[in-house]
Amino acid sequence: MKKNLILTVVAAVLFLSLTNFSVSAADYPTKAITLINPMPPGGTLDLQARAYASMAEKFLGQPVVVVNKPGATGMVGTLAGAQAAPDGYTLTVGSVNLTNVVEWEIANGRKPPFTRHDFIPIGSFTMSPTLLIVPYESPYKTLPNFINDAKSKPGQLVFCSGGLYGMSHLPIEIFARATGLKFRHVPYTGGGPCLSAVVGKHVDFATQYPPTSLPLVRGNKLRVLAVVGSKRLKSIPDIPTVKEFGIEAEYYGWVGILAPKNTSITIVEKLREVTKKVAEDKSFIDMIEKPGDEVCFLNGDDLAKWLDKESKIIAELDAELVKEAAKK
Amino acid sequence: MDVLNSLFSGFKIALGLKNIYLCFIGCVWGTMVGVLPGIGPLAGITLLIPATFGLDPTGAIIMLAGIYYGAMYGGSTTSILMNIPGESASVVTCIDGYRMTLKGRGGAALFISAWGSWIGGTLSIVGLMLLAPFLANFATKFGPPEMFAVLFIAFMLLGSLGTGSFFKTMPMVVLGLLIGTIGMDPLTGTLRFTHGVKELFDGIGFIPVALGVFGIGEILISTEESLSRIVHKVRLRELLPTREEFRVSWGPIFRGTGLGFVIGLLPGSAHVLASFVSYITEKRLAKRPEEFGAGRIEGVAGPETANNAASGSAMIPFLGLGIPTGPAPAVMMIALMIHGIRPGPLFISEQPQVFWGLIASMYIGNLILLILNLPLVGLFVNFLRIPFRILFPVVLLICLVGTYSVNSSIFELFVLLGSGIMGYLFRKLGYDLAPFILALILGPAIELSFRQSLMRSAGSFSIFLDSPIAFTLIAFSILLFIWNIFKSLRSGEKSVK
Repeated sequence: MKKNLILTVVAAVLFLSLTNFSVSAADYPTKAITLINPMPPGGTLDLQARAYASMAEKFLGQPVVVVNKPGATGMVGTLAGAQAAPDGYTLTVGSVNLTNVVEWEIANGRKPPFTRHDFIPIGSFTMSPTLLIVPYESPYKTLPNFINDAKSKPGQLVFCSGGLYGMSHLPIEIFARATGLKFRHVPYTGGGPCLSAVVGKHVDFATQYPPTSLPLVRGNKLRVLAVVGSKRLKSIPDIPTVKEFGIEAEYYGWVGILAPKNTSITIVEKLREVTKKVAEDKSFIDMIEKPGDEVCFLNGDDLAKWLDKESKIIAELDAELVKEAAKK
Repeated sequence: MDVLNSLFSGFKIALGLKNIYLCFIGCVWGTMVGVLPGIGPLAGITLLIPATFGLDPTGAIIMLAGIYYGAMYGGSTTSILMNIPGESASVVTCIDGYRMTLKGRGGAALFISAWGSWIGGTLSIVGLMLLAPFLANFATKFGPPEMFAVLFIAFMLLGSLGTGSFFKTMPMVVLGLLIGTIGMDPLTGTLRFTHGVKELFDGIGFIPVALGVFGIGEILISTEESLSRIVHKVRLRELLPTREEFRVSWGPIFRGTGLGFVIGLLPGSAHVLASFVSYITEKRLAKRPEEFGAGRIEGVAGPETANNAASGSAMIPFLGLGIPTGPAPAVMMIALMIHGIRPGPLFISEQPQVFWGLIASMYIGNLILLILNLPLVGLFVNFLRIPFRILFPVVLLICLVGTYSVNSSIFELFVLLGSGIMGYLFRKLGYDLAPFILALILGPAIELSFRQSLMRSAGSFSIFLDSPIAFTLIAFSILLFIWNIFKSLRSGEKSVK
């Protein structure tokens, strides 16, 4: 008798939760959506996430609230996003940190708390290359100038980055491997201090993203030698890419939206559709492009493929970096 | 004349009804985030950025800058009244500010703090207006060796922050340094003392620690003694500083302005450094330094002026060059970029209406803040009339909410409570808290700049001598050190006699 009662209750709960689930999936969203940003407030990533949220809530008809959960280069917030209920009400902002941090943990023999397979990619809206910059008074006027001099002084030219193994460090490591050059690295804590170090000639060169470095280029404080990628930028059409010099070095900072795995396909489809609409919206494009970035939309499947490819490259690079660090 | 013309056209923009309104909103919001412990100008600005999407760029930056300098006005309130730093730059204000409240002079401390903030804030805008293009380049001269030299002086001064005994101050400095080493080393990626706890990878944040050792510690101490403590009844006359208090504050206010303005140009936690250096300077110049820590008004006037002066000059590298030196200017810069304006070396000449509109609005905003904050003194002081058994649970709640609102982290709440217990024990044992907090903030910074310098020079110490700025500063601090020893030896002789 008692057993039956329990069974009935379990069945009822299961039934209710299932019906509830299907109803909520069809009507989704019926309440506010939380968008976890695993990076601290401020910063380009945070602003792009907020711009996305302000547009997406128009298309979804429900508020989209950005919550910053920074810590451990994004690990704390991304983990919270991976562990969230897969009901479409907690989404996560994805960026290069997703691949960088995971591969870095693996390369160091630690088990990453999550991988990209804990998420379903919804879509990404930017994909920006970095610029190779030198101080304006630097003797290097062109990329070949720079490469020739670097060849004659292996390990003597110094560069800075906004953070170890971050989005302004890895492009140079990739570039150095593609050209066979050796440099010395001084990590700074943030893009601002790194830019200041290049302008103040405390280092020889660096890579930075276009929005913050281009005004300093126009004001004759910095010089851009090349775009670290394969496509010239709309905002600086006369600056060549490294690929034009036969150097295969590419690295792109992407920003996109992720849902926890096991999210129902109805919800995923709805979010993908909304993200596409946002990326095509004129005022969203303005918000991204006015600061000097470019909107580059990838749908969920393309983003997944891109992530697979990128993870492999970063994994190989990190393995080499760990080996090099061990030698020192 | 050129400057006057530009400023005049700036006032025409800033005095528009809409811009005055935005400036007012920014100042009120800034005062609020300053008053509330935990949440600071950075979070305050970020929260309001989406609200600026529909505004023109001038209006947007006027409002966001208002939050930024407004927070420096509000930061002193809880420091003075409840011994809880409302904002990281107000840690040293707790030392003498809270003592003044216990002596019934809290109103005077708040009044002088608002007054000094206004003078420091306004004078630093004059500096910003006249010198922005020149000083922006000066800021980039400060690389790792120069920063190391500045922090080296700061550490030389740290010892004199305490209330006296070497053995009550140094252990706290060392403890602060040790806790500062926790987390991922930014230069090699090595994890130190994290034991696999992800929340520790970024180190222990000083906001929960400062709120804990000061705020929660204070509450714990008070529960022991204060249920019977007399409730302060403040009369209007007592809200105002006496003529004597005004007189002794002039020096600290003007010195604080100068120090704050120069230090504000430096990268990193400039506000904290500015208020701390100003406090030490006043203590050293005082005829009776031993009275510092027992409620001297100079210990409030100097630092509270200095952090406002620093907030003006911290905008110079960002407005004059497009390189933000701290997190709050960085967010303001990005907000401008959303509106299609990219600050850079050409910003002032290409966007005069934004720059001069902002400058003019800062004069207006500082006046608004003065008018806003003086009547608030009366209101805030009245909070002390609330019985402790009601006030303290509310304060505890504010500390918890304030800490959680920064990073939405449960872990930091435990850090807060743990630090509270630590703060209680330290107070019981008579150890100084301010050197501990400052060592925690400055420790990682000096380590970073020292190692960055050596990485730059491939291990050669000559990098500290090659830079004229670094060399001068280090030589100065060594002289200071020798002078200290000499002085203490002499006073030791005297006491022996």
